[in-house]
Amino acid sequence: MEPVERVIRGILLCGIALSVALMAAGLVLGVARGAGLPRGVVPLAELPRGLAALRPAAYLSLGLIVLIGTPFVRVAGSLVIFVKQRDGRYVLVTASVLLVMCLGVALGKA
Amino acid sequence: MAFVAGVFGSMLGVGGGIIMVPMLSLAFGVPIKVAIATSIVCVIATSTMAQTTFVSRGMTNVRLGMLLEVATSVGAVAGGVTAVLIDGRVLQLGFAAVLVYVAWQMNRRGGDVTPVRTGVLEAAYYDPAAGHDVEYGVRRPRLGFVLSLGAGNISGLLGVGGGAFKVPIMNLLMGVPLKATIATSNLMIGVTAAAGAAIFYGRGYMDPYYAVPAALGILAGARLGPRLAVRLSARALGIIFQVVLTVFAVLMLLRGLGLGL
Repeated sequence: MEPVERVIRGILLCGIALSVALMAAGLVLGVARGAGLPRGVVPLAELPRGLAALRPAAYLSLGLIVLIGTPFVRVAGSLVIFVKQRDGRYVLVTASVLLVMCLGVALGKA
Repeated sequence: MAFVAGVFGSMLGVGGGIIMVPMLSLAFGVPIKVAIATSIVCVIATSTMAQTTFVSRGMTNVRLGMLLEVATSVGAVAGGVTAVLIDGRVLQLGFAAVLVYVAWQMNRRGGDVTPVRTGVLEAAYYDPAAGHDVEYGVRRPRLGFVLSLGAGNISGLLGVGGGAFKVPIMNLLMGVPLKATIATSNLMIGVTAAAGAAIFYGRGYMDPYYAVPAALGILAGARLGPRLAVRLSARALGIIFQVVLTVFAVLMLLRGLGLGL
């Protein structure tokens, strides 16, 4: 495997493992509290408090956030590798992808 | 259901939103925006899990994927502009027509493209079904880039991932062998979906009641799909892909005519 492929694989595996662990924790907490699956995600600002209070919805939400964030981290990780390899063209390409992803999120919020 | 979607989606390099969304909203009565949000999470799960296999087999052309991602993501963001210019119904009917045309082209070709070395974005992978290494280069990178802009744009407009377009563009037009095409398309759909999912999360359309079981099912299914894709012959994969494209086309046609979704 090329370095960039190794890094991508590592990031994806970590993302999946973390996300599955958080979702599983949320499910276990839900069962332990006798409640079913919660409806609706926890907004970002309330996450820390929800996690501290062992609210199942907070763990499930964070699991989803980690899953959604993994492709962002994957692109950012590839960017770092291309910078290290001084591969100017792909630094530019990868940076553009990351920029457009973030731009899309920013525009979507408006 | 999510498991099956994970197997097929990851095997063919498509997200499957076009099947997932109507199924969730019609069969399970999920509100449409929540159904779309769930389907987008599924696309991310498919892409992420499948890549762990595809990348380690060297089937994903990371550089090609990155390059085309620029086009598809710009196209997707620009989707709003086009929405003002063209009627959604016209787009859906056009989408159906293109899918039918692509399925027919793939069918006419019969087998996979013959790999040619072009000196552009060259890569190689081992094909266990064929029993030898496949080396290939990319043809017509500029035209492929421009068409990917269009593919991203349409997928942004219609709320579908666009794998159904990316695969034919890379395979038929750019001469990338089908297996590398599927792996690379799978990498790309994760990027578009992640940006979309972040927006849906922020707007509160994400519902763990549907998204978590679906994501877990997909993650399990998407471990199996790439292994099947690696082992099956390119010809068999091509035939399955044509069938799925035809199903997509019929669904889009129904939507465009205002029947169902």
